[in-house]
Amino acid sequence: MSDFEEIASIDEFGLADRLEVFIDDTPVLLIRLNDQYFAIEDVCTHDGQPLTNGCIEEGAIVCPRHGARFDLVTGKALCMPATKPIQIFEVEVRDHKIFARLGK
Amino acid sequence: MSTPSVNTSAEIPAGFGEAAFEAFLATREEPDWVTQSRRQAFKRYSELLEAELDPEEWRRVDLRAMRPDRFQLNASSEITNDSTDSKSTETLLKGQAEFAGQVTHVDGQLASNDLSAELAAKGVIFGDLAVVVREHSELIQKYFMTKAVDSETDRFSAWHAAFWTGGTVLYVPRNVVIETPLHSLITLQAEKAADFSHTLIVLEEGASATLLEETASTTTDNLGLHVGAVELILAKEARLRYVQLQNWNHNVWHIAHQVGRVEASGFLQWTVGGIGAKLAHIHQDVVLDGRGSEAEVNGVTFATDKQIHSFYTQQVHNAQGTRSDLLYKQVLRDHARAIWRGMIRVEPEGQQTNGYQRNDSLMLSPTCRVDAIPGLEIEADDVRCTHGATAGRVDEEQIFYCMSRGMSEYEAMHMIVEGFFQTVFDRIPVEVVRETLNQAIIKKLGFGR
Repeated sequence: MSDFEEIASIDEFGLADRLEVFIDDTPVLLIRLNDQYFAIEDVCTHDGQPLTNGCIEEGAIVCPRHGARFDLVTGKALCMPATKPIQIFEVEVRDHKIFARLGK
Repeated sequence: MSTPSVNTSAEIPAGFGEAAFEAFLATREEPDWVTQSRRQAFKRYSELLEAELDPEEWRRVDLRAMRPDRFQLNASSEITNDSTDSKSTETLLKGQAEFAGQVTHVDGQLASNDLSAELAAKGVIFGDLAVVVREHSELIQKYFMTKAVDSETDRFSAWHAAFWTGGTVLYVPRNVVIETPLHSLITLQAEKAADFSHTLIVLEEGASATLLEETASTTTDNLGLHVGAVELILAKEARLRYVQLQNWNHNVWHIAHQVGRVEASGFLQWTVGGIGAKLAHIHQDVVLDGRGSEAEVNGVTFATDKQIHSFYTQQVHNAQGTRSDLLYKQVLRDHARAIWRGMIRVEPEGQQTNGYQRNDSLMLSPTCRVDAIPGLEIEADDVRCTHGATAGRVDEEQIFYCMSRGMSEYEAMHMIVEGFFQTVFDRIPVEVVRETLNQAIIKKLGFGR
């Protein structure tokens, strides 16, 4: 398993609830939800386009184009039209810094 | 004519902002018209950066991770032949056949160039664009980004027009026939190097030539960026065979505008091989301008790992009795993705034309993905235009049958993949290209296993 790498600091969020970052040239969406942090690959497995502006509802992100929903913890596709999970990353917070590595 | 204070040893800042552009210009010794066209293109590039890309072409191509500011142009002209003869350069064609001339570029700079004395005596020009643009300024000015690739098309064509580094030029005078192929090699060597090479081929009336061009990395890991352009300009009754094998490592971003224009009774055979790159997007136009002109476009691509191969092809029929025939064969494995958007466009003048396009994709893993979208736009009423696209998995029964006859799974897979490509191989008359592509496929089948 790869090592944790620093991807952002908490201060970078400001008032926003999400940040766009890169891990090994992969676009990753870092989401803050009730002081918890989640990192997911920022690509919908249905149409291959960004999830960046998707709404967060009940612990899931909703694709802004066709409504596919993905669980933020497991990456699992929760409804059509997506059938495949998104890649998730394990997140750790240490000293106001956020670290991530590829999830299982 | 030339800039008096040229500093070829200056460092160009990373990225492609104004500071990098001015530093880059300071390293160039070029005719005024080139400098002016660069400045105009840079202005246009800056404007187009703010404009949305054509969603028809780009909606399926994710460029967010490209981050151009990481890459840097090489100002140094101190490239030695040793750097290209290194065994680490994975050249597929060099040494595989006899060539009438060769040009090699490293990180956008000329490394070596030769042409047979016999062809030079006939007026053939074959060399680096950065040199030829000085030595044959009027000739190049007539053709460079005036007839084929338009710098105004989008941000990538403008970006290329502002920052082009060099590239291969082939000019063949009227009725000169070159029997032996020519070879052009473009390599990326340094970490985060940017290559903006431009290929310009001009065949005058009745001329004939074959150019085999390949792109390769000298390392397996170094990040790289290629923003290129290819212009193929064929006068009446000219015949060109052009082959481009894209074989970068899996960390190179490859974006290119490529246009071929064919005048009356001319024939262009264009073969594209896509093996490498992290993400490759090719905008490929074939424009048939003259009566009875023909173009045959062959594509062979093989993507593995997380590679993305994207093609946006157009076959434009501007005159009567023209024929275009496009066949792309794409194989994918792992989490690779292929995108192909093809269009045949027939103008009202293009009566009695015959246009054909076909894309077949073979998926070796359940996790890869293909988006193949053929299209027709026909404004003439007496034409024959057909198109089609297929995508499918390898039939498990075929593998089982082969294995029941004593083959290993790898051998069975290779036979099936080779058979899949065979129909496009049969259209490629240059044996060394067929053999090279086959070897690349064998190697790729073993990649990551």
